[in-house]
Amino acid sequence: MKTRILIIGAVTILLVIIIFMARDLFLTRPKIESNPFEFEMDDLKKSDSSQIAYQEIKQFKPGLSEIYGIAVDPLDRVLVSGKEGVEIFTPEGIIQNRWPTEDGALTIATDQKGNIYLGMPDHIEIRDSTGRLIKTWKIPGEEPIITSIAVTDLFVFAADAGRKVVYRYDLSGTLLNRIGEKDPQNSIPGFIVPSPYFDLAPDRNGFIWIANPGRHELEKYNYEGKLLSKWGFASVTVDGFCGCCNPSHFTFLHDGSFVTSEKGIERVKVYSPQGDFKCIVAAPESFEEGTRGLDLTVDAHDRILVLDPVRKNIRIFVKKVVQKTDER
Amino acid sequence: MKIQNRRDFLDTLVRGGFLTIIALVGGGLILRSRKSGNCTLNIPCDNCLKADECSYPEAISFRQTVWQLDPSKCIQCGRCATNCVLTPSAVKCVHVYAMCGYCDLCGGYFKPETRTLNTGAENQLCPTNALKRKFVEDPFFEYTIDEVLCIGCGKCVKGCGAFGNGSLQLQVRHDRCVNCNQCSIARNCPSGAYRRVPGNKPSLLKGYAKESPSINVKKVQV
Repeated sequence: MKTRILIIGAVTILLVIIIFMARDLFLTRPKIESNPFEFEMDDLKKSDSSQIAYQEIKQFKPGLSEIYGIAVDPLDRVLVSGKEGVEIFTPEGIIQNRWPTEDGALTIATDQKGNIYLGMPDHIEIRDSTGRLIKTWKIPGEEPIITSIAVTDLFVFAADAGRKVVYRYDLSGTLLNRIGEKDPQNSIPGFIVPSPYFDLAPDRNGFIWIANPGRHELEKYNYEGKLLSKWGFASVTVDGFCGCCNPSHFTFLHDGSFVTSEKGIERVKVYSPQGDFKCIVAAPESFEEGTRGLDLTVDAHDRILVLDPVRKNIRIFVKKVVQKTDER
Repeated sequence: MKIQNRRDFLDTLVRGGFLTIIALVGGGLILRSRKSGNCTLNIPCDNCLKADECSYPEAISFRQTVWQLDPSKCIQCGRCATNCVLTPSAVKCVHVYAMCGYCDLCGGYFKPETRTLNTGAENQLCPTNALKRKFVEDPFFEYTIDEVLCIGCGKCVKGCGAFGNGSLQLQVRHDRCVNCNQCSIARNCPSGAYRRVPGNKPSLLKGYAKESPSINVKKVQV
């Protein structure tokens, strides 16, 4: 009897040992150690969903291998420039026309007649909507990088990220003046453009707004080049511009509000005409990490069109409809 | 004169032959050892056109394969700082100056929440103060790396890549690396960014073809 108890006890202890060994071998997972030197950035990209006032309603994909610039013509057609040429889409995103260009145009713009202005590496090309060349002119200086073009009734503005200056031309291509060159006597700080993102847009009051990305500001100039006002500050918080150099692109809504896009923390936001933060259009989670070059345009219905160069598509955002509930 | 018989003559001939062979071998070895002393060209191997076939020991070392980190695969997890057999790690941050924007608000230097852009310790992302900031002219600042202090954690690299041009990159520094047969960091690298590269082309940099002076490799230890 005693021997039997001893055997049962020994077998039980053996079983317990085997169970523990088996658990160690098969059930426990290796402990993932947190690294004290890892720079955690996920929290920076979180945004308050109540601040997102726009929703994405549509996407369409151009047939270009790389896409660089977007614009909307007076008929609300969407123009996209890319590595191989230009594509023209209906407002619904259906392809209407495409034609090749010799080099990829980094930026695209249209005038009121529907002529298309292309910012080529060292010159500006004007073409009609069928791609027929109307006019072209060279950009002065060595190694220009034309990153943005804007056309008004009388003038053409071109932002050169290489020379860090904006050129104002008349419609025939005659250079009238240079805007934004460093001039301490007239309190013009000069543009800081660490990376090739340098945007401009004319407002409805006859002034030209130019991004100064290295200073995280948008600056307002008259056409003669006098600095009139500026706004913006550097911050990773939603109301500021993050990183070394932002905003990378901007445009206007019809009420004069600014729509801006950033890299680093990829986001699209709306600011009031006075520069106060209003809302988020697209939060960082809407984009792939590392997305740069979110060019923007706004159509006649205040739809915001975002060019996503990583997903290689055009994304259309509209304001969310706020449903009012009847209180009884 | 003593007349040699055939046996003595053959014996002398064989002895003489042996002595000649020993002299030739010895002389050859001496000559070779003298040649393998020092290169007289006085230029580094990476600039020498004869480095591929040269028999000097520094050139032979130069042609060995060495460990290097591919910045295009690196996720800046921080393990380079903790897994190297050396303390501090042989992985250091290098600066590709040609890509740098010389930004005032440098994403590699400042913590993201920093409001006042000064060199206060509370503002710095680098845990060891290895990244130095120097005013150039308004609003440009130059950033240099103190490799003695750098532990290769990659925090600045992540910040620069996310918010800047990505001019800060991690690289194995071969004046420190002991070139282990099985690199301890490579074994633990979650993104498989480590691989062996030829010793005469030991840098792997992304984004810019030109090499800055700070990334030239001095010597390869074998």
